[in-house]
Amino acid sequence: MTIRVLIADDQMMVRQGFTVLLNAEPGIEVVGQAVDGVDALEKTAELDPDVVLMDIRMPRLGGIDATRRITGAPGATARVLVLTTFDLDEYVYEALRSGASGFLLKDASADELAQAVRVVAAGDALLAPHITKRLIAEFSRVSAGPRPPDRGRVGDLTERETEVLSLIAQGLSNAEIAAHLVVAEQTVKTHVSRILVKLGLRDRTQAAVYAYESGLVRPAGY
Amino acid sequence: MSKLSGMTGAGGRIAAALRGLPRMLREDLWTAPVDPVPPMGAPGSPVWRPAFGMLLTLVVTVLGVWHVPDLVPHGAAVPEYVVLLVVSQALALLTGMWHPLYAWWASLALMVVSVRITAYAMTPGELYPWTGPEIALQGTALFLLALRVRPRRAGLALVLSLLAGLSAGSTTRPHHYSLYVAALVLFTAVVIGAALRALRVARTELVEQSELTEEERARRTLLEERNRIARELHDVVAHHMSVISIQAQVAPHLVENPSDELRENLTGIRENAVEALAELRRVLGVLRSEDAVADGLRHAPQPTLERLDELIGKVRSAGITVTAETTGRRRPLPPGVELSAFRIVQEALSNVLRHAPGARARVQVGYHSAAVTVRVTNTAPASPGRSTGGGGHGLLGMRERTAMLGGDLTHGPTPGGGFEVVATLPLEELS
Repeated sequence: MTIRVLIADDQMMVRQGFTVLLNAEPGIEVVGQAVDGVDALEKTAELDPDVVLMDIRMPRLGGIDATRRITGAPGATARVLVLTTFDLDEYVYEALRSGASGFLLKDASADELAQAVRVVAAGDALLAPHITKRLIAEFSRVSAGPRPPDRGRVGDLTERETEVLSLIAQGLSNAEIAAHLVVAEQTVKTHVSRILVKLGLRDRTQAAVYAYESGLVRPAGY
Repeated sequence: MSKLSGMTGAGGRIAAALRGLPRMLREDLWTAPVDPVPPMGAPGSPVWRPAFGMLLTLVVTVLGVWHVPDLVPHGAAVPEYVVLLVVSQALALLTGMWHPLYAWWASLALMVVSVRITAYAMTPGELYPWTGPEIALQGTALFLLALRVRPRRAGLALVLSLLAGLSAGSTTRPHHYSLYVAALVLFTAVVIGAALRALRVARTELVEQSELTEEERARRTLLEERNRIARELHDVVAHHMSVISIQAQVAPHLVENPSDELRENLTGIRENAVEALAELRRVLGVLRSEDAVADGLRHAPQPTLERLDELIGKVRSAGITVTAETTGRRRPLPPGVELSAFRIVQEALSNVLRHAPGARARVQVGYHSAAVTVRVTNTAPASPGRSTGGGGHGLLGMRERTAMLGGDLTHGPTPGGGFEVVATLPLEELS
């Protein structure tokens, strides 16, 4: 099945460049381009892409707000991959909290780009687990924004589910979690979707953020 | 001496102190400098010279006249040397405004001399040498001294004055004199002088302290401003660099069967761009500060002159009437120039908002062949007097930005009570 991608960036060179690179990949198709956040909202509604490549810095409506609206829309299926020029900072973290599934540096190689789109579309692992974990660990401490929706507490999870959640937060993929717990991967998938439903989260990236912010997982050294 | 050197402990220390005493006395009472005359209007001496000088002249004149009868027996004519003594004494005290130490020595010497010369003529039973005028004269000399030297030195001078009076009196014929009255008056003079000096020193220190703080604050503001500018410029560069890295990757896809040389070359371009980005990340990590987060400037791309209308719209909605005009051929400029020009307009307009509420502002951008000029003027504020201090921050930033690009910034009030900022940013140096 082809992964349908929308690219939102205010720079034409970047949009065209990523379009060429992604269209060259098997199984990935760029279905549209948006020039700013507002355009991205409209094109997402119109084209229903699987993945939106979203620049953080855009005129009119910034990428973080656009991400929040896209992922917050009822029945939203599009996953957002945030693009950043070079900042692995609180903005990227803010984007993750706003519903983005992962982030990517703009100077990533074509392979990394395609890999990122595939991982985000599949949703069974964190993108760049090591860096993502570090980013979440660092900024969950200092983030001053509103907490994620607390529709259910960690207490509502079963013991096994809590265990899976903490492994997600460690950056493990479903397959790795299955190996770790000595269960079938399908079982892990079931656990993960139950966790997401119980906590009202949309994907494992938000689950990882939740695990850190709720204190289930403590960043090493703090 | 041989006995003393054999002693140890406290005895030795006392001996050392005694040996050091002559040197200390010489320094305290002769060689060590006195405080410089405080400049006019300096703290602690608001009316130091003119008013104080007149008062002192009056005082020494009155004291001199009052002093004459002390030096001449009743009914006798006033000899010339007495006039000379009195005038010298008065002049000595007047020099005390500038050289209080020498003045005090001179007064003391004149006192001893006058006792030596005139004592034979005095009738027993007079207060001598501590007559009223003499106490006042010596008191004035000590007061002037205490104003300008440390209390210890003034105290030493006081003791010496009293000893001199005592010895001068005791070596002449036995006269009645009141050492106690003299001691009390002179001590009071020294205390008042020392207190005034302490007040002046404290105030000077306070002023110096606040000047230092002010300087420190200005320096910090400058650094913060430079930091911010550097951050923005690096940011622009990084942005371009990442586009280069993307384009270098895209290029081979745009031609059919790209040659190995082409691929290699483009890979090289990409690798260099990625390396440069890694360095830029490091630099920006250093330049990043807390206020960068507050600025929120990384939510939006760095602005260019294209977004001037948007900016002016915002300022209009804040209640300022702004007109804008562009002269010359509008064209894209180097990113650093675009960014700086935009920021200069932004800062100038926010100064108008801050300091000239209700004024009308005018923004002119001129595109010339070798430079771009930005001119922001405003009329007098509608409600005058709300202009507050601390407006230097924006101007500082504008100056830094202009200087960084090798341009010129002029600013100042306009005849109508308004304000004008003109920045000229050269284009050639960068191309």
